Amino acid sequence: MITEIIINAFLVSFMLVIALFIVNTRKVIFTILLAGTYSLVAALMFVSLDAVDVAFTEASVGAGISTILFLAALSFLPKEEVQESFNKNDIFALSICLLIGGLLIWASYDLPMVGNENNPVHQHLVSDFIEGSKNHIGIPNVVTAILASYRGYDTFGETIVIYTAGLAVFILLYNRTSKETNKSVKNEISKK
Amino acid sequence: MNNLILKVCTKVLFTPIILFGLYVQFHGDFGPGGGFQAGVIVAAAFILYAMVFGVDKCKIIMPTKLNFFLLVLGAFLYGFVGIVGLILGEPYLSYDLLGSTKQSGQHIGILLVEFGVGLTVCNVMICLFYSFANFKFGSNKND
Repeated sequence: MITEIIINAFLVSFMLVIALFIVNTRKVIFTILLAGTYSLVAALMFVSLDAVDVAFTEASVGAGISTILFLAALSFLPKEEVQESFNKNDIFALSICLLIGGLLIWASYDLPMVGNENNPVHQHLVSDFIEGSKNHIGIPNVVTAILASYRGYDTFGETIVIYTAGLAVFILLYNRTSKETNKSVKNEISKK
Repeated sequence: MNNLILKVCTKVLFTPIILFGLYVQFHGDFGPGGGFQAGVIVAAAFILYAMVFGVDKCKIIMPTKLNFFLLVLGAFLYGFVGIVGLILGEPYLSYDLLGSTKQSGQHIGILLVEFGVGLTVCNVMICLFYSFANFKFGSNKND
């Protein structure tokens, strides 16, 4: 119990330090790399909460692929962020952030303890899922059983969302490149 | 990029990364993992190859047409497994009648569905990287 508290406190303070560095730094590449590190620490956090599947996804998607895609997009961005001067609206925005954050922390005291078996979330369907994934589906990983079988519709929706997003980005970006290449090809031909 | 160490390391690492992706893909029933994670890992191998050897070399091993075919095939496979269940006379996306027993039916269904997810995610990531790598900033200003 006490080791768990120490590990969690270390991870949370580490995430806080990384977040402060992200706010402070002006170089875009440092921001991207620090955001990747933040995701990796978040993945460790999920491991300590026994959510191994989520941790795996966070580590591979959050820390891996999104960092690479940001780096690929970096070549279109300016190297350094423009330093913005302080204006009056910032105080208003800061006070709203502090207010909402304080309210959320206050509300979190009403949440049930993590891992308590009498929590409402464990009373409704979870026992059916755990029983069913052993007897009906017959695979040890309950997460996969829920993801692919019990909630197959939701996963289908997620797949379609990713599919559509990929196609949309391709259509938006490819249109430009094809025009560019067509033009350069035409130029070359006309030169000859 | 013209660094010999990077090129050799990429050649050595390329196959094990894909192998690990396949392990995560097909081991999702027994441990952590599944289609989403496996797709991202396999895509990472191709993106590493594209970063070291250039996008044009990567398009030889993963042409844009093949990329799109697999992208559509993954989503299609998922929907198709559901329709097979519908034809066999049970609700959409329930896999009980796909195998000889209920459990083997569920196994086959989950394996196929996860494979569809993996294909789609992997190819969407490669497609995103191709689009970013080919993108020229402000190239249609004159149109």
